[in-house]
Amino acid sequence: MTPAGERMTLNLGPQHPATHGVLRIVIESDGEVVAACTPDHGYLHRSIEKIGECVEWPLFVPYTDRVDYVCAMNANLAYCVAVEKLLNTSAATAVQVPLRAECIRVLVAELNRISSHLIGVGAMAMDLGAYTPFMHGIAQRELVNDIFERLCGQRLTYNYVTIGGVGFDLYAGAEAEITRFFEQFEREMVRFNKLITTSTILRDRCAGVAPINAAEAVAWGLVGPNLRASGVDWDLRRDEPYGIYGQLGVRVPVGQAFAGKNGVVGDCFDRYLVRLLEIQESVRLCREVLKMLPPPADKPTDPVGGFQADVKRLLVKPPKGEVHCRTEAPRGEMGYYIVSDGTKVPYRVRVRTGSFTAAGIFHKVMRNIFLADVVAVIGSFDVVVPEIDR
Amino acid sequence: MSLGYAVDALARWLTGSEDPASWAIAVAVFAVFVAPILLVVFPIAALGQILERKVAAAVQRRHGPNSVGFDGVLRLAFRVCLFFLPRARQDRLLAAFCALPGIKGLLHLARRLGLGQLVADGVKMLGKEDMVPSGADGVVFRLAPYLALTGAFLPFCAMPFAHHLVMLEVPVSALYAIAVSGITVMALLMAGWGSGNKFSLLGGMRAVAQMVSYEIPVALAIAGVVLWSGTMDLHAIVGQQYQPGVLTFLGWNLLQSPFLALLAVVFFLAGLAECQRTPFDMAEAESELVSGFNTEYSGLRWGMFAMAEYTEMLLIGALFASLFLGGYQSPIGEQWIVTWPVWLESLAHLLLFVTKVLASFLLMMWIRWTLPRLRVDQVMRLCWLKLVPLCLLAMVGLAFTILLGNGTVPGTAYGRLPALPRLDLGVLGRLAAWALPLALAAILVVAARKRHGQLHPALRQLTGGSA
Repeated sequence: MTPAGERMTLNLGPQHPATHGVLRIVIESDGEVVAACTPDHGYLHRSIEKIGECVEWPLFVPYTDRVDYVCAMNANLAYCVAVEKLLNTSAATAVQVPLRAECIRVLVAELNRISSHLIGVGAMAMDLGAYTPFMHGIAQRELVNDIFERLCGQRLTYNYVTIGGVGFDLYAGAEAEITRFFEQFEREMVRFNKLITTSTILRDRCAGVAPINAAEAVAWGLVGPNLRASGVDWDLRRDEPYGIYGQLGVRVPVGQAFAGKNGVVGDCFDRYLVRLLEIQESVRLCREVLKMLPPPADKPTDPVGGFQADVKRLLVKPPKGEVHCRTEAPRGEMGYYIVSDGTKVPYRVRVRTGSFTAAGIFHKVMRNIFLADVVAVIGSFDVVVPEIDR
Repeated sequence: MSLGYAVDALARWLTGSEDPASWAIAVAVFAVFVAPILLVVFPIAALGQILERKVAAAVQRRHGPNSVGFDGVLRLAFRVCLFFLPRARQDRLLAAFCALPGIKGLLHLARRLGLGQLVADGVKMLGKEDMVPSGADGVVFRLAPYLALTGAFLPFCAMPFAHHLVMLEVPVSALYAIAVSGITVMALLMAGWGSGNKFSLLGGMRAVAQMVSYEIPVALAIAGVVLWSGTMDLHAIVGQQYQPGVLTFLGWNLLQSPFLALLAVVFFLAGLAECQRTPFDMAEAESELVSGFNTEYSGLRWGMFAMAEYTEMLLIGALFASLFLGGYQSPIGEQWIVTWPVWLESLAHLLLFVTKVLASFLLMMWIRWTLPRLRVDQVMRLCWLKLVPLCLLAMVGLAFTILLGNGTVPGTAYGRLPALPRLDLGVLGRLAAWALPLALAAILVVAARKRHGQLHPALRQLTGGSA
């Protein structure tokens, strides 16, 4: 390796086709080899947490869309579940989310997890030079967006999950449409996997690249699929269930050196494949939920068939105190730490996201790898820049 | 009568003397050599870009360019040509022209195929600013696109488009083709270095490392065919693949020996790498190097690089067709085509040749839009540890095959080639020449499967259990 003074500094980003937005990584390269790198964040900082201190409780929900716009449903859900947890700290303000609303929440969260993972694996394939799988993934994501658009009128930032339930009930025929979507989706995923996942080139590119073992993954605070890819069997939907996840029996895929010959547990290919397996699991969960979905009631606040508990009055004077609540978003734990001083505006809203911790380990794993691997690593962590900066 | 004679005649006519060393030669050379190349190759290369977009769209289940046709061009032509008439009159004439039978259909077809993109993109590129970055080495930066285009176009001078359509009869045209196409390496290095951009530099360096390496399997594959044919003249190689009878394609080099088929595969792969196509598009590598060596280029200079890329693809396709697919010859019934009048024969040959080239062209696009990109070290490993040894193996195998009495050079439609010395073992030798390489291939395939092992069960389940 050439001495430090003779290395070349390469700015990967903030404007670069492979960095998924405005991620910037300053690479110290020794020809094609990356000697060291320094991620530089903050290009997409929008003070979302500060805004949280300025708007009323329910009015912050649209801002959560912008925390992670690739899976806005899960971002909505994370905040709403946290606020409900806060309200439940006092018997006077306890809120009971209707069962139908809980089912719809799981439905939209898992659908959004599917569409988010499609972007993740598709974009990773694109970073590795295969453009077509990305387009096929996007095509399926569009179908999910069609369903969401009919549900709440939006295709990207849904503002659908609300404190105490969801914004609207399912539209007529939604169940049938979702079932139909899954039928063709599963066929398409088989095609997608035949096209790219079993590709020898993809496996050779990803096998053994930037492996993270279980101890490291825990020590660096990785969460979600990135943690599970390293072989840590941990999923909040199963181990710390919220909503009705406890009744669903979530099965958790973990990394097993899927790539074969040169594969290592926790390498890029494991991170890629765990996402594909989670998509399968999400489809199964959605089907389960569709089975247990209670019929709609006339009254929206009905504890079983309703879709929205009446929380307006509670949010004017919520209990004082603080609460930390974490949910399993597609990019891992999305934790909300909320401090309330008993007024109708939160005192402090703090978001902890999966991409943030994933970006924290970049400089460690992107060392002594090829320049081409850098994009594979970024892609495999599936970071979304607004989630890092918020 | 080949075009070479035409040049001679033209030069004599122009200068009125027998002295060939005259300025008219230059004019004649341009008119007779270069212009036809440009006329044949340039439009196909340009069409290639539309074709690429259409193929990509088909692979990705999109429509691709499907709105821009020649309507605007037609209207513009009417406006310009009939400038002396009032506008309403022009419009009426245009409407009358469009009402002619078939015109509407043709315009619609052009729109659906997006053919107007050729014009639109051309105008767009012409209109863009010709920028030279402040940190660039101006001369090198400006010169590179021309060199790229030169390196891509020159080999076509010696390409047999049809029996009577060879611009330059070079006795070593196979060698000439790979030699002059090597200029492109220089062009990419100049572009990478001259841009004064780190991504360009990396792209240029990758291009040089890759193209210099892959020239060896390409050259070895050509050398294999040369060994088989006993000539370095592309035209003679094509002629040597002639087979009398209806099933002309049985004479194609691809089907003559397993070793030649192997060389064909190696040639195609290495050719992909030579023209920087996915999975070997190291030099451009959009997701890694922004756009690699041509990051800083804009407008027409960028267009020249794009054109050079497509011309290189055509070149690989043309060489592949000439070396392995019988060149311009028809797959069936070539013996009748050669009896046709010269112009008709040439036209048929040209069309057949273009068809074969386009087949390779489409295959390259299909590959590009299906496969991910290899990594730099993997590209190099593939070249030096897989393709080059395979080539050498095939060369040795071919030599033995020839010695065993296979590959008797048949009489071509246009004469006989000198025979090579043979060790004739009769039927036994012929049998061995086929059975041994096929057995070897089977062993290699089994070994490779064993080494790579089975797919992980999770992967098999994800692909519906049938991976």
